[in-house]
Amino acid sequence: MSTVRLASITKHFGTTVAVHEFDLEVADGEFVTLLGPSGCGKTTTLRMIAGLVEPTGGRVWFDDQDVTFLPPRARNIGFVFQTPALFPHLSVAENVGFGLSVKGARKAAIASRVEEMLAMVDLTGYGARTPSQLSGGQQQRVALARVLATDPRVLLFDEPLSALDKNLRESLKFAIRELQRRTGKTSIYVTHDQSEAFAISDRIVVMNGGRVEQIGSQTEIYLRPRTGFVAEFIGANNALPGTVVALEPVSGTSGQSGEHRFRIRSGELTLSCRSRLPVAVGDAVVAYLRPEDLAVVDDDGAEYRNVVEGEVERVIFEGPTAQLRIRVAGREMRVDVGGSRRLTLTEGDRRVRLGFDDLNVVPADTASADGGSGGSGGSGGSGGDGSAEPVSA
Amino acid sequence: MRSSPALPASPLPAGSRPPAAARRPRLSSRRLWDALSHAYIWAVLVVFILPFLALVGFSFTTRPGEAGVVTNYGYVLDTFGDNLLWSLKISGLTLLINTLVSLPAAYAIVRHSFPGKRLLFSVLTLPLYVPGAVIGISLVLTYNFTYHLTTSMWGLVLAMALGTFPLMLTPVVVALKDLPVIFEEASACLGATRWQTYRRIVLPLIGPGVSAGLLLCFIIVFNEYLVTLFVHPPGLTTAPLRVFNQIRTAGLAPTTAALAVTMQLISLAAVLLFFRLFGARHLKGTYLL
Repeated sequence: MSTVRLASITKHFGTTVAVHEFDLEVADGEFVTLLGPSGCGKTTTLRMIAGLVEPTGGRVWFDDQDVTFLPPRARNIGFVFQTPALFPHLSVAENVGFGLSVKGARKAAIASRVEEMLAMVDLTGYGARTPSQLSGGQQQRVALARVLATDPRVLLFDEPLSALDKNLRESLKFAIRELQRRTGKTSIYVTHDQSEAFAISDRIVVMNGGRVEQIGSQTEIYLRPRTGFVAEFIGANNALPGTVVALEPVSGTSGQSGEHRFRIRSGELTLSCRSRLPVAVGDAVVAYLRPEDLAVVDDDGAEYRNVVEGEVERVIFEGPTAQLRIRVAGREMRVDVGGSRRLTLTEGDRRVRLGFDDLNVVPADTASADGGSGGSGGSGGSGGDGSAEPVSA
Repeated sequence: MRSSPALPASPLPAGSRPPAAARRPRLSSRRLWDALSHAYIWAVLVVFILPFLALVGFSFTTRPGEAGVVTNYGYVLDTFGDNLLWSLKISGLTLLINTLVSLPAAYAIVRHSFPGKRLLFSVLTLPLYVPGAVIGISLVLTYNFTYHLTTSMWGLVLAMALGTFPLMLTPVVVALKDLPVIFEEASACLGATRWQTYRRIVLPLIGPGVSAGLLLCFIIVFNEYLVTLFVHPPGLTTAPLRVFNQIRTAGLAPTTAALAVTMQLISLAAVLLFFRLFGARHLKGTYLL
């Protein structure tokens, strides 16, 4: 077990920048997930930690040891791949014992360790089988047992569940988390599946275009996205580009530390927002509003900081909730409602009143409605979706 | 015969169901097709094997004034052993050299990128396209600059290796290309050195490719006549050379046929041995395994 520290680690493939000056510190025993769309550099980062890819720049530290240029075998890591990658010509027991066997452990020691590991992944008695006789989920559990057998300092997971079907993914992701808790191994997990990341991580690193967008807990990332990319990549979100028009003093009770309130103008709407960002009047921002944070109100909605009116365009009944498409000031917004409300609303010309609390905003130049914020680090421009307000510099 | 019960119950109303009679001829035409295919395969087999059977038959005949069948093979055992031993020795050493050259070369070609890689691979496979006589003459010329190569078996071994190692290299390259690199990465992450990974993971998994290469080389070298004729040192007669000499001197005699049959049996034994040793998943379910 150990800590992992990445110091501005960088990888170029030819002229392509796969990972750009990535910094990360993972505490001993922590479970950190790198989350991002495909091609965001998360797998490359993981492979640099493993030593399978040599970084172009930067350093990788395990505790106080600089392992940047050590080969994988000298790092004492456990790497779980996207496919189980069990050696097809070896039995399950030989697969699990492989790591010990190449280090010259005695046969008896290997056998007892293999037994222990197979029991840990609930596969006692499967040792004599060949990998092809196991199901996909069992194979991936053997792969887990195989990396745990060598008692690695760090566990690395490269989308280990993506090749499995949905039900298996569900059960195995908790099995992975449980094993990690029990063994206390420092773990770094790569996925593009946010529900997976949310279910098993202590901390999440959202990556995009080879850069870190945000590092934080599930709630921080979901409720306080710091960039437009994070706001739009994680969950559903309504984007409201606008301009700051007025700053307000924070009222003592509800203001979180370091946050301040202000109002933005987005089209015809004036909305109350809150952010930790330093903003000034005239700044271009994008406000984000989760569909489940909007409430349909019958009265004047005085308990909400913001109230807008709109027309119901579409009602999609989804079981526990209904998804509404409501046109507000010329912009379609998604609203998720639950309870009896989901049954009473119908499509048509009905006008409804929506109430919601302070909005979370991000600077307009981090927003990427079209998902194309790769590398260039755009210079204070539009929100990218073409609907942004005029920018005042 | 079981056409109607084997069909799944049709959910369609009776009127729109295709008549059973329409199906029966289709099935039986497929059976006919199957039977024809099998007949074709057997016919091909017979045509290919027939000359060999004729040879075997001839090897058991006697010529007037000569002794019986046992003598034909007795003659082989008495005088052919030396030639067979040379052939086996040359083949074994050639396979060893081919293995030592091809395995590292294939790994370098598939797993690493370096300038001129494609050119190198093309050049390495060149001997496959050069006629034996050309290789023979070139080697005789080259060996003239040395003394050792013209007088020892190493000249012959070298010639064989030169002509056949592409046959070894190519299947190994193909096998390595088909082997996902993830197994090697998994092995490395589990703490194995490069050599351990190669010996315990890569080599067993490319086994069929290696066995195919070894087999091809063995068959070619063991039966090679033309190049051998050019470069064999004095006093060294390999089995195929002996067969040709025998035909030249004694003509098409039953003893010559017995020599040829013996060589054929050794080649066949080699095929089975290699498959047993190195695995041949691609042959599972055939008549051989």
